Parts: sequence; C-alpha cells; structure tokens
Amino acid sequence: MTTSSAAVRVSRTRRRTPLTWIRGGGPANLLFLLPMIVIFGVFSWGPIVESVVMSVQHTNFVTAPTFVGFDNFLALFRDPLVPIAVRNTAYFALLALIFGYPIPLIVAVLMSEVRRARGLFSALAYLPVVVPPVVSVLLWQRFYDASPRGLFNTVLSWVGIGPQPWIQSAATSMPSVVLVATWAAAGSTVIIYLAALTSVPPELYDAAEVDGAGLWGKIWHVTLPQLRPVLLITFILQIIGTAQVFLEPFLLTFGGPANSTLTILQLIFRYAFQNSIGLDYGKATALSILLALFLALFSVVYFRLTKAWSTN
Amino acid sequence: MKSPRTAAAVLAVTAIAGAGLLTGCSASGDSGNTNGTVAITIASLVPGSSADAFKAFNLRVKEFEKANPKVIVKPVEYQWTGPTFSAQLAAGTLPTVFNVPFTDSQSLANAGQLADITSDVKKLPYANKFNKSLLQVAENDKGDLFGIPYGPYAYGLSYNRALFTKAGLDPNKPPTSWDEVRSDAKTISDKLGIAGFMVFTSGNTGGWGLTEQTYSRGGRMEVTEGGKTTVTADNDQTVAALKFLQTMRWTDNSLGSNFNLDWSGMNQYFGSGQTAMYPSGSDVLTALVQSDGVDPKDYGLGLIPTEGDNSGVLSGGNVAVVSAAASPAEKAAAVKWIDFYYMQKLLDKSAAVADAKSLISNKQPVGVPQLPIFDKAQLDTSLGWIDSYINVPKENVAPFQNGIFDQKIIAEPAKHTQELYAALDSVVQAVLTDKNADIDALLKGVNTQIQALIDADAK
Amino acid sequence: MTAATIRDRAVRRRALDQSDRGIASHSDWRRPGVWLGMSTVHLILLILLILWGVGPLLWLLKSAVTPTQDTLQTPLAVFPHGWDWSNVATAWNTVGIGVQFLNTIWVAVGSWFVQLLVATTAGYALAVLRPKYAPIFNGLVLATLFVPGVVLLVPLYLTVLHPPLIGHSLIDTFWAVWLPAGANAFNILLVTRFFNNLPREIFEAARTDGAGPFRLFWSIVLPMSRPILGVVSVFAIINAWKDYLWPRLVLTNPAVQPLSVRLPNIQSQTDLGVFLAALAISMIIPIVLFLVFQRLFLRSAGLGGAVKG
Repeated sequence: MTTSSAAVRVSRTRRRTPLTWIRGGGPANLLFLLPMIVIFGVFSWGPIVESVVMSVQHTNFVTAPTFVGFDNFLALFRDPLVPIAVRNTAYFALLALIFGYPIPLIVAVLMSEVRRARGLFSALAYLPVVVPPVVSVLLWQRFYDASPRGLFNTVLSWVGIGPQPWIQSAATSMPSVVLVATWAAAGSTVIIYLAALTSVPPELYDAAEVDGAGLWGKIWHVTLPQLRPVLLITFILQIIGTAQVFLEPFLLTFGGPANSTLTILQLIFRYAFQNSIGLDYGKATALSILLALFLALFSVVYFRLTKAWSTN
Repeated sequence: MKSPRTAAAVLAVTAIAGAGLLTGCSASGDSGNTNGTVAITIASLVPGSSADAFKAFNLRVKEFEKANPKVIVKPVEYQWTGPTFSAQLAAGTLPTVFNVPFTDSQSLANAGQLADITSDVKKLPYANKFNKSLLQVAENDKGDLFGIPYGPYAYGLSYNRALFTKAGLDPNKPPTSWDEVRSDAKTISDKLGIAGFMVFTSGNTGGWGLTEQTYSRGGRMEVTEGGKTTVTADNDQTVAALKFLQTMRWTDNSLGSNFNLDWSGMNQYFGSGQTAMYPSGSDVLTALVQSDGVDPKDYGLGLIPTEGDNSGVLSGGNVAVVSAAASPAEKAAAVKWIDFYYMQKLLDKSAAVADAKSLISNKQPVGVPQLPIFDKAQLDTSLGWIDSYINVPKENVAPFQNGIFDQKIIAEPAKHTQELYAALDSVVQAVLTDKNADIDALLKGVNTQIQALIDADAK
Repeated sequence: MTAATIRDRAVRRRALDQSDRGIASHSDWRRPGVWLGMSTVHLILLILLILWGVGPLLWLLKSAVTPTQDTLQTPLAVFPHGWDWSNVATAWNTVGIGVQFLNTIWVAVGSWFVQLLVATTAGYALAVLRPKYAPIFNGLVLATLFVPGVVLLVPLYLTVLHPPLIGHSLIDTFWAVWLPAGANAFNILLVTRFFNNLPREIFEAARTDGAGPFRLFWSIVLPMSRPILGVVSVFAIINAWKDYLWPRLVLTNPAVQPLSVRLPNIQSQTDLGVFLAALAISMIIPIVLFLVFQRLFLRSAGLGGAVKG
C-alpha cells in the first residue's frame, strides 16, 4: 500500500506536461475514443443542439435561416391538427398499454411454468418480432380488408359476426393499428418478463410455501415483488416508445380515415417532409422538442413516484 | 440564445447550402461538363412503371442523343410529390429536367426554386404559338418563363367497359348526369358485388376530386375579388356533392369497402376490377397501362356530368421545368430535351410518328385523349399524323373527346391548393367512413384553416 | 441399470428438485388437479401462440404461391386452384426485388460494422483505459439515451445533406444510413458494462508483459468479449433490417433502397399476388437467422430486461 500511495503523492506533485500525457498513454486513449467522438458529435450531439436552434428559426433553402423567436411554438398551438395528434397518440399509448402490458405478463408467467420445450414457446412468441415491421403492417393491411370477403371478416362470419370496417372507420381504426403494433412487439415483452421470472430465486418460493402460501399467494407475495423493477422499467419504456409511434399508422392508414390515426410523429414528418413547397422545419423541430420535454418530465415524475414505491 | 459555436455552425450550414445551390455541387444531380459535352439527368417515368414503358422511353432517349451528340442524357425514375421535391431540392439531387403540376409551378417559380428559361425558350420557333392562358402557369409574377406546360388534361369519367357489359349496361353510353351515375353504380354493385363508383380519398387527391365535383355543379372553392381571396369550401355545390356521396355510400352501398385511395391506389383499384367507374384526369390511361395492366380495349372515358349555371370541368396539367442549380449549358440542353420529348410530337410529323412507333413497339397506348397546348387545329393535325398508329379504340374515348371542347374549362384553385386539398381529404374520408359526419361543420373547419393560411400570406 | 446410473439419476433428480421449480413446487405438480389444469392451460397457450406467431406468416407463404384472384376472392382457402410459382418469379425478376434484397444486406452489414467499431473502441477506452476525462464522455453518451429519437430526425437529415468537411451530400449513399447507426448509446452502455466486469488482473498481467493499448485491445479484450459482441451484432442486424423511416428519408433512389423502403412504394403498381410474394421474400432472411441463432436472440432480448435502468 505504501508504494501506491507514494506513487500517488509523487504523481500529484509531478507537473503534468504534454510529455507525461503522451507517456501516460494519452494519444491511445484519444484514438480509441475518436470513432465515438466523431460519430456522436456529428450524428447525435450536434443534431440535438441544432434541433433546439432550429425550433426558433424559419428555414427554407433559398435564403439564410432567420430567428423567429417563439413563432413556431405559437403556430403549433394554432394548428388544429396538433390537438388531434396529441389525443390520438395518447389513445394509442393507452390501448397499447392495455393490450401490451398485462397480457404478456400473464403469458410469461404461464410459460415459466412449462416443464419441457419452453424454447418452443419462446420462439413462437418472439417470431413476430423478427419480421420486418413493413412486412407485418402491409400483411395485416390485407387481413383488414373490410369487404365481406376480407380475411378477418371471413373468420368473423364463421362465428356469426358481421363484417367490420377495421381500418375504414374512424371508430375502429386506432384499435386496429394497436392490434398490429401489439402483434409485432408483444413477443419481446414476453421474453423480457420470462427472463426476469426465471431468475427469481426458488428459495423464496420454498420459504413462501413453508409459510403456507397457496398458488395465488406465491404470485402475489413473491413473483410480483421480485418482478417490480422489470415491470417499472418496461412500463416507462413502453410509454416512451408508444409516444413516438410512426410506422404502423403511417403505412396502415396514412393517418386516416379523417385523421383518426394521425400521431405526433406523423405530424412532425408532415411538417418537415410533406409540405408541398415550403418545408416547415421550424414547426417540426418545435413539436419534437415539446414531445421530448413532455417525456422527460413524465420520466422524472415517474421515477420519483416509483422510488417511493420501491422503498416500501 | 445562440452560442458562438452554434452560430458558426448555422453560418457554415447556410454557406454550404448556398454554395451548393449556386454551383450545383451535388452527389447525383447535374454532373460535370467535359470536352464540350453536357450531361443532364431527366425525369423518366413514375416508379413501378412496366419494363415495356421504360423500354419505350429509353428508345426516345437514344434518338435524342443521336440527334444531339454533345448531350448525354441520364434518365431517373421520378414522381412528383411535395416531399420528394423538397427533399431533393435541399439535397441538390433534383434531375435537371423534371415535372411539376400546374398547382405548384407558379409558387416554385416565384420562390426562385426553378431555373429561368425565358431566353432559351424564345429561341424555339413556336415560342409564340402557345395557348397564352396555359403558359401563365409556368410564369412567375414578372412574366419570366420557368417551364413549358405539357399534357394538359381535364377531368373525365373513366369506366370499365367490360364490367359495364357484364352488368348489363351499354358500354357506349356512359352516364351523363349525376343521377345516372348513381343508378348505374347501384346496378353494377348489386349485380357484381364490387364498387360501382368510387372517388379519390387520400394523398390530397380527395380534395382534388371534391373540387372537381364542386365545379361540375357550378360551385367554387375559392373566390378572388379585388385581390382578396376567400375560401368558400362550404358552398352549396360542395355540400350537394358530399351528400351525393353520402347517399351512395350509406343508402345504396355502391362505393365498395376501401376508402383509403390515393392516386396510384385508386388506379390500381380500378385496374384490378374492384370499381367500375371513377372520375379521373383524362390522361390517366397511360398510367393505367404502364402500371396497372389495363387493356385499352376495356377502357372507356366519358364526360363528367355538368349541371347548373357556371358549371365546368376541372383542368390541370404538368410543366416541364429545369432545376435552379443548372448551369447555362445544362439549361440549354434541358430545353432541347423538353422540346424533343414533349413538344415535337405535336409540331413535326416525323417526330410524332417516331414517338408513336416507339410507344407501339413497347405495347404502350397511343391516342390517349389530350387537350391542346397550342390550339385545337394544331392538335387535330398532330393526331392526324399518327392516325394509323392509334391503338386506343376511338369509340372508347369518343364521349369525352367529342364533348370536352364544348365544356367550360376551369383551373384549380390558386391559393394554397395542396393544403386546401389535404384539408378536404379528411372531409371526404369522414363522409365515407362515418355515417353521422357533419358536413357543414367539417367544411366550415376547412374554410377557417385555409383562410388563415391565405391571410398570413398577405401580412 | 447399474448402480452408477441409478445414483446419477437420483443426483440429477435432486438437483432438479432444488433448482428447477417455478411458482408451482414439485409437490404442487404431483397433485393431479394441478397437473391436469396446468397442462390444459399450456396446451391452449401453445395453440394460441401458434395461431398468433406463425399463423399470419404461414398465410403469407401460402399466398405468395397462390394466384392473385384466389387470394382476393377466397383468402382463407388453401390452393383451391393449385399453386403457382409465377408470383415469386415475377417479384424477383420483373419487379426486381433482388436489387433491394441485396441493398438490405449491404445496409445491415455496414451498420453492423460501424456499430461494432464505435461500441468496442469507445467501451474499451471508457472501461479499460479509463482516462481521467472518461466520466464526461460517459455522461454525454448516457444523456443521449434520454433524448427521444424524434428530436434528431430533422437536424440529422440536414446534417446528412450537408455533412461537415465532405463536399457533397450523403443522400442516396449507404453512408447516410451506416454512419448515424453508429451513434447508438445503448450499444456503448452494454459494452462498457461488460468490459467493466472483465477481470482487471488479466489487463495488468498483459501490461507487465509489455502489451501496449492496441495489443491489449486486439488480442486480449476483443477475444474475451465474444458474448457481448454477439448481442450487439444481433441487435444491430435486426434493427438495420427493420429500419424504415430513416432509410426512406435518405435513400430515394430505388437502386440503393432496402426492401423496407421499396415495398410500400411499389404497392400500388404491383399485382397483389406478386406483392405478397415480395413480402414473403423479405421476411425469409430475418426468420431464418432467428431460427438458426434462436438462443442468442432470446438471450439478448432477455438481457434487455435484466439491465436495470
């Protein structure tokens, strides 16, 4: 110990010169960090800063960008599509939570009890996750054919239910979108839960049985508390993910019918890339920053609240 | 608010952007000129067109290069959509020659995003023969010319003759009033279980189609008086048009069950026999053959029924334009190509025949209905030259071709057209998917929304 | 049955008894009611999972070789008029899906390489070399995890249009997809954690043997990191294959578009049967990769849950 503390004392009193930096392996450190610094700098940190800057500018490609203060944000509040998009996104997040949060848990609990061939179950559950989302969405678009001959409508007719409009009606369009999104994503949630379930120490169950707990008791007093960290994390991750949903409503219904599946991200895309002549990058970045701020706030509040739970 | 670093970054981006636009420094746009040769990229066909269509086009390219050895031409697939244009403009990857619809050419010209080709066009022998009102769409407010209009169309009623026959209707007698449209549609949908009639609903085409249906009843979407434009989407004729659709959808059930159709989606819907009639541009047959496998023998084109005072037919077209990043040599070459490919077949017999021959050899339609760019006499002459090559049965398109010149041709609404169409898309979709859609409220909403945009311009 | 076999079996059963149990204990399982109930539930679950996971995909495979009219009229019938390979042939040849198929592979390989490069070098620097300023970069990288991707969309697009130092835009080149893919904070997090858990004695030993930082990286650290490299690779390739919005923005020329971008574009111009065949072709490689590397996939996916924040 004395040698290292002596060395520390020596290094503290020794002057740090460029030579000591080189001798200490400085250039190698920098070289190894270089790919990350360049890539992140150009494609992550820079754009994040630029996003904030652009949200207070008006950009077109003929003249230099001009500073416009909060005009972009004000324009957002005046645009009738913004509240629609916010409402739709919240609706999607809610439905996705209802279908995609508890059901995978139940499935995972059942799967964790499987004695043999658990791998088969896992593979079946995860299979839709590896299918490219474009393929999934375009495939389900066929299923959702609203004519009586459509695939789902044919299945419904076997059990005596009439043909449904699926994505052809504002009332059923969002649930249809959620169904596709859940099909494509629920499998990964199941696997995450399963991994957490199988890592629950069996002694805890033994101890609970000694205390006389039945099946439900074990689930309530052992399984769920053990799963709490995973449950909390997947909840917030799901919220953050569903708030940014784009592909499913974009390809399935293009935001229709009558803007009933228009989400915030689709609106950002429209502002930035679908205006006929003028690109409205200012409004697009302003809206994306508002969304980011909301999610940040939500996460902070969420972690505060759940910290209170965790300590119980 | 801006840190020096960010200000520098913004300056740098702007400088590079500005320099890029000025010097045409881009990845795949106009490439360099060497040994006095000029290389230009040109918009060819929409993505997904058949291999035969591309073969026909490439034949024409070869003919042009032979006649102009100093010019190298590189075709690229191109389809005008707002986002593609904006993105490519920003990236500097626009083809040298591409096309924009009438609705956008003037705003682009005024914004300086197209090349001024006034002097190059003046050198053409027929520069004064253009239909003056048509030429206006390609000019900016000062009267400088930024493109050459081509392919003007008017709305017509495309219908499937084979399905008409199958349903017991006479294919030579398409419906001539909206009531007849309704009853024919009901007959077809009852007998064949498909959509007897259908309209565009998305990708801004819903609003485009609704505007046409308004014009055909005598209404207008925008009214300009004394320099001030007022949006009048809630006029009686639009309401009537929507109520008509509502009845067909919910009472007759003759509109099928897919209400999310943009331009190419609807063409496919028609081409695969899932609808028997739809209002469309009169030039759509080319796309139908190139992309959707339609046989001209089964295709019919009638007139859109017009009823009431002040009624007319919506017209539009395309403008062949040159990218603002083109150098003077590239501009001259570009105008030469536009002249060769788009114009010559209307003015010169051998060019017309060559064009027809290349289309025929690659199984493309010849004789798709057109409106005149110069005047009717010139159009008739040019059609006479290729008469023996016409493979679209004349009687199929006779109802339109014979009647259109008696119709009042009305241009699309002038201000914020695409935003107006986009807002109207939702209205059409709502009426077709929600039994209880409140038509008046929806249209008033459109008024407010678009009027705000127009008023903001004036500030 | 030898005594040894009996003993082995007993040992194994006891080990099984002690560790391989879930919520239900072994005594629970021996009760016929529980056993029957659970097995029935599991059977039902299996059938549902088959319908859910495999059903749609089987339908797609079937429709890819069914004539279009049959798919339109009677989608649930199985080969009412026999099957027809022409859709697949048309999709590959005439529609030219083969080009985009190759592009997808290129995009995936390039993104994978860039991600691996950035993650391993950064992780090595931050976790093994540990320069004094490492915590700053650690923090900066972690901070980006909390920024939703949407914020980056527009400025990243502009950056690709006008990249610093390079004269012209990267639009319509694969670099526009490869390079931004490397800015993946999650990868760096995974790799840094893994490297942090490697025994440092090995590094000290190698250093005293005279290994410089590069040698240490290439010959010691990398070979030891195969597990985490596997996980990062799986994520990288799957994400590249699935990516839609970003490639759609930056790859506008069909000659460089991957399948995910091209397919929606040609939907309206392509016959339904041919289109379904194209969809089927697009999903074959990811599914085959998954079936072959199942355990790696499932372990990586589960890892996401074991990482606590």
